[in-house]
Amino acid sequence: MDKSSISRPGQREGLFSSAVYHLHLYFLLLRAQARSQAVYRLSFALDAVGSALITLAEFAAFALVIPRFGTLSGWTLGEVALLYGLAELAFVLMDLLFGGFDAPNLSGHVRSGSFNTFLLRPAPLRLQIFGSDFALRRITRVFLAAGILAYGVSASGIVWTPEAAFLLAGSVLGMIAFFGGLFVIGGTLTFWTVESVEAMNVLTYGGRTLISYPMDIYGQFLRKTFTYLLPAAFLSYFPVLHVLGRPLPDGLPLLAAYLSPLVGPLMLAAAFAFWSVGVRHYGGTGT
Amino acid sequence: MQAALPSSARPNVALYASVARLGFRRQFAYPQAALWGLITNLFFGVLRIAVLVALFGSKPQVAGLTVQDAITYTGLTQAFIMALSLFGWTDLMRTVHRGEVASDLLRPHDLLYWWAAQDAGRAVGQFVLRGLPMLTLFALVWGATFPAGATGWLLTTLSLLLAWACGFAFRFLVNCAAFWSPDAVGIGRFAWAVLGLGSGFLMPLAFFPQWFQTVLAFTPFPSMMNTTVEVWLGVKTGPEAWAAVAVQVGWALLLFALAASVLSRGLRRLEVAGG
Repeated sequence: MDKSSISRPGQREGLFSSAVYHLHLYFLLLRAQARSQAVYRLSFALDAVGSALITLAEFAAFALVIPRFGTLSGWTLGEVALLYGLAELAFVLMDLLFGGFDAPNLSGHVRSGSFNTFLLRPAPLRLQIFGSDFALRRITRVFLAAGILAYGVSASGIVWTPEAAFLLAGSVLGMIAFFGGLFVIGGTLTFWTVESVEAMNVLTYGGRTLISYPMDIYGQFLRKTFTYLLPAAFLSYFPVLHVLGRPLPDGLPLLAAYLSPLVGPLMLAAAFAFWSVGVRHYGGTGT
Repeated sequence: MQAALPSSARPNVALYASVARLGFRRQFAYPQAALWGLITNLFFGVLRIAVLVALFGSKPQVAGLTVQDAITYTGLTQAFIMALSLFGWTDLMRTVHRGEVASDLLRPHDLLYWWAAQDAGRAVGQFVLRGLPMLTLFALVWGATFPAGATGWLLTTLSLLLAWACGFAFRFLVNCAAFWSPDAVGIGRFAWAVLGLGSGFLMPLAFFPQWFQTVLAFTPFPSMMNTTVEVWLGVKTGPEAWAAVAVQVGWALLLFALAASVLSRGLRRLEVAGG
């Protein structure tokens, strides 16, 4: 590693240089992992293509059957692709960013005791966890999701205005923060449970699948639970409704369509507050 | 490595039966994990039902299936996920990569039959643990239907056993890639994605365009689940159902023969490093 390039900022230097230093550290961690994953090229290529196949098969199955039915309760394939692409794009970007917090990964560190090593190193804990699982093979899923989203945008005939762009970009950012928050919560729980808590999968993967389709197809109970209890509907469903020029449900004001970039970070902030409690509680497993 | 296994005239039935019994019992070791798995499957089942019901809208019937059929279809696929290992199976490739296969080969049994017995026990265990509760829930909450009459049950049971046999032989074949490649897990990902699409797990095959169904009809994938569900629902009855089961028998025999032949080739080139 090139030591000269990562000189630690002194006490007197400002916030900016500290941020630059930490960002640099983060990218060093990512680069090291990306390099090691690219050593076995064939293996990497297989993994990269393979990890996109599940999503491809799932979306292809939906796309292949929809001509028999016409629409999904009034939603065309292009309009569903918009929701599906947004959810998948945000989720895979979140997976790249927050993979280290994912319960199976963190559970491994807690069980083996390697979490102690993170605590001892002279670098911020969260930064190390952020840089601890960067699965480069997911990059194919990013392209696939972007492709589905691009199809959705062109097929649903969205009028490109700065407002539409803001709504869709905000939706992705909100979802990254929201699902990242769920990953952080799932990871934090392993400080108590050691094993990953499977119930979280219903919220993360289940939530992702739930918002991949228009939420008016679900029953009242499910739709309201994921609107008012766990505010997943604000992430992509409301923004997409507004972009398509459809009214929001329950007589909600238009403002609700713009809340994704607020709801997501709020969830993430709450998750990190919980994380701090968890780290203080953490005592290791004795291994 | 030479597999110095004498191919005895009579397979040791008692041995394979106890292997299957142990495989069955092993499934009940972690009831809590099974419960959460059931809840997850149920949640995804609810989402899939919502998508199908919304697709149907007010249409009474599409491609020979009613909404109720589609709901039962979803219940069955969710119930079979674990029993038929629809998300994949990597047990054999793991023993090859770790070298544990060497000690399995020292035992006085045929490796294919041994794994088949173990997987049969596992499948029955998972069907009891995860499949039956799921079917019960689907019957109670969504009015899922059951096979009609004694013939219906007989055909469905036969078809389900054959679906397991076809699926197992296919999974075993995919796992045999481990004898040739350290990347068998990556190869498996392709196989499981194709299995999900081709077996009718992701969507009932009847809903696919005709050209796609024609292509799939030349593959063993529909035999690994879709046929069983169609026989269960009564979409296929009488001679048509028997013909579908006969196709399953054909694929099962072919896939098992292929698995045996690929395994013996794989064992001939197997090298296990000490450790």
